[in-house]
Amino acid sequence: MAFTDHSDLFGSVHEDGVNLVVRHLMRQRPSLFNYATPAFHARPDLFCQPIEAAKSVKDAGNPLFTEQEPLPIFGTPFPVGINFCLQLVDARIDFHPQDVPLPPELGELPPQRFSLMAAACAGIDCPSEEVIAGLLPWIERELLAQQKLAVGKVEESRGGKDVGRSQTGALGVTGAPPRRLVGVRPDVALQPAVLDERPPRGTVVLPTRRIECFCLEVYTVGHFEWGAVPGSEQAWLKTKLDGVEIVDLGPERLEASIECYVATVLRLGILPQVMVPLEKLVLDITKVLAEQGLQVGKQVTLGPSPAPGDVPNNPAVEDDMIKAFGKLTVTDGGA
Amino acid sequence: MSHLTVAVSEAAVRKSVEVLVEAVKWEKQDSKDFGRFSAGYHVKGHLEGGAVDLRADNTIEIKELDIKWDKLQVTLGLDIPEICVGGGCINLPWPLPDICLPRVCVFSGDPDISISPDFAAFVAQEISFIGSVEARYFDMTVPPPPGFDPCGFLNSVLSGTGVLPDPPTTNQWQIFVDPETVDIDLFDFADIVGDLIEDALTAAVTAIIPGGWVRDLVLAIIGGIADLIRFILDIPDEIDEWLSDLFNVSFGLLDFLVQIVLELFGNCVPIYAIDDPFEVLPAKVSNDVLLSGAPVTLVPVKVPIADLSVMVDDTELVVRADVGA
Repeated sequence: MAFTDHSDLFGSVHEDGVNLVVRHLMRQRPSLFNYATPAFHARPDLFCQPIEAAKSVKDAGNPLFTEQEPLPIFGTPFPVGINFCLQLVDARIDFHPQDVPLPPELGELPPQRFSLMAAACAGIDCPSEEVIAGLLPWIERELLAQQKLAVGKVEESRGGKDVGRSQTGALGVTGAPPRRLVGVRPDVALQPAVLDERPPRGTVVLPTRRIECFCLEVYTVGHFEWGAVPGSEQAWLKTKLDGVEIVDLGPERLEASIECYVATVLRLGILPQVMVPLEKLVLDITKVLAEQGLQVGKQVTLGPSPAPGDVPNNPAVEDDMIKAFGKLTVTDGGA
Repeated sequence: MSHLTVAVSEAAVRKSVEVLVEAVKWEKQDSKDFGRFSAGYHVKGHLEGGAVDLRADNTIEIKELDIKWDKLQVTLGLDIPEICVGGGCINLPWPLPDICLPRVCVFSGDPDISISPDFAAFVAQEISFIGSVEARYFDMTVPPPPGFDPCGFLNSVLSGTGVLPDPPTTNQWQIFVDPETVDIDLFDFADIVGDLIEDALTAAVTAIIPGGWVRDLVLAIIGGIADLIRFILDIPDEIDEWLSDLFNVSFGLLDFLVQIVLELFGNCVPIYAIDDPFEVLPAKVSNDVLLSGAPVTLVPVKVPIADLSVMVDDTELVVRADVGA
C-alpha cells in the first residue's frame, strides 16, 4: 500500500523523532526549560537536576537558565527573598498505540490520541535556624522604626546599635530592588556579608546552603485537529487537550485545583502557540523552487485532504506516528 | 521506522513539473565576426509539454519535453570582395570625343549585405530524459576528488552568475536526479530553412548590383550569386547542415541547451538540499534571560539529520530521514 494512495502528499513524524528533537532543544536552549535565581550561577550543583547543555551553549557562554527574582518573604519591613529553581527535566510524547504507562485517572490511550509526559522539579531554599536568628533582630528593629507593629504605635527611642551585629555574619546580603540588581554579582547571595545599621537598599537574599527539591510528573492526553484561525485563509493543525493528571499530589482538592489551572494554561496559553499550518509540516513546493532560484508563475498551495472523505483521519495519530495527508493545488497568480 | 517520512504521489509530481516547465524561460544573444562574414543570433524560448513518469526502478522519466522558440533570429552579414567595372576611356581621333565608361564598384561596404530572418516557426527541439533519484551527503571536510572535478568546474564557471545557487557552506543532505539518458535533438534545421537563407542572401546580393551592362559584367566575373555565397560562407554541402554546425559548434548553443537541462536535472545540482544539522530555531538576541535585561545572543538550535534516503516506485516518491542523537 502506498503512502499516497488517497492523497497527493503524505508526511509523518515518529514519536521517537519528536522526542529526540525535544531533547536537542533542551540541551541547546536550556534557558527555556530552567528558571532560577541568579545565585545558581555560582552554585549550579544546587539545581534539582543537573543541566545538560550542548557544547555550543557553553562555548557561547549562554546562560543555562532564565534568571528569576528571589521568592519574596511577605510581611518583612524590607524586601527579603529566598532562592529557588524550577526545571522542566523531561518531556516525552507518545502517539497511539500506547507505549508510556498513564496514570489510572487517564485510563488507556484511546485511538487517534497522544499523551505527553512532562516532569518538572522545583527547589526552594529553606533558611537555617542560624540564618533566621541572624536576620530576625533586623526585622524587629525595622518594624519598630517603621511603626508597623500589631500592638500599635510604640514611643521608644531607637537604639540597638549592637543588635545583631555579632549575629549577622552568617546572613545573606543585600541585593537590589526588583529588576535592578545592578552592580551585584550573581553569586553574591552566597557570600556572607554584614548588615549595618541602615535599612538594606535592595532585596536581602538569604544565603543558600541546600535546596529542598520536589518533582512532579504531569500527564496530558490530547489530539490533533484541523481548524481555522481568524485572519488566516489556510487550515491550521491545532492541538487539543483531553485530560490532565498530576501524579501523587495531595490533598485531592488541591490536586484538582492545580490540574484545572494547568489545563487552563495549556488550553489558553500554550497550545494556541503551537498550531502549525499544513504546508510547514509537509512540503512547500513554491518555497523549494524559490530556494533553487526559480520563481514560478503559479501559486502552489497545500491543503488538508478531506477527512473522512479522502482519508479516515487527517492528521492521523497511529502506528506511533502523527501522519498528515495533503492535497496539492495549483492556481494562477504565483510569484 | 524512520522518524520523518514525506511521500509525493506521481500526480503531485506531474503537477509540480507542469509548474516548473511553465516557469522555465530563457533569452540569449551573441554575434561573431568570421572575417568574410559575420553571424549573430538572438534566441528566446520556453519549455512545453513533457510527460512525467515515476518508474519502478527508482528512476523518473520525462518524455517529449519540447523546447519552443519564441525567437530564433539569425543575423548573417556578407563582406563580398569589392568588384569594380568600367572606368576606362577609348581615345578616338579628333574631332570625335573620347568614349569613357563610368567606373562602377559593387560590394564596397562591410558588410555589404545583412539579413536577419527569424526561424522560430521552423525549429523545435525535444528532450527525453531518464534520471535516477538519489540522496548524497555533502561533507564540507572531505576534499574534492583528485583530478578533474566536473561539479567543481561547473560551480567555478557559473558561480556568481545566478545560474547556480552558491556552493553550500555547511554539511548537507542533497537529493539529485542523476541523468542516465538525456536525448536532445540538435539544431537540425530543415531544408526549407536552408532554402530560405539562400534565397534571402541571393536577393540581398542581387539588390545591390546595378542593372544593365554592369550586372552582366559583375555576374560574368563572379560566375553566379549562389556560387559566390557558397564560396564566401565556405558551405561544403547543404546550407541547412552548415547552419546547424554554426549553431551547434560555433555558438555552442547545444552546450547552452544541455546546460539548461543539467541545471535542472543534472548531476551536480541538487534538486533539494537540507543542511545538516538542520536549524529548527534560529539564533536569538534575548533580553529576558538575565534579570538585568542585558542582551544575550542565544545560539541556534540545530538538529542532526541522519540516514536521509529517497526512493521512487511507480506510484510515489518517498523521502525518509532520521533525527540524529
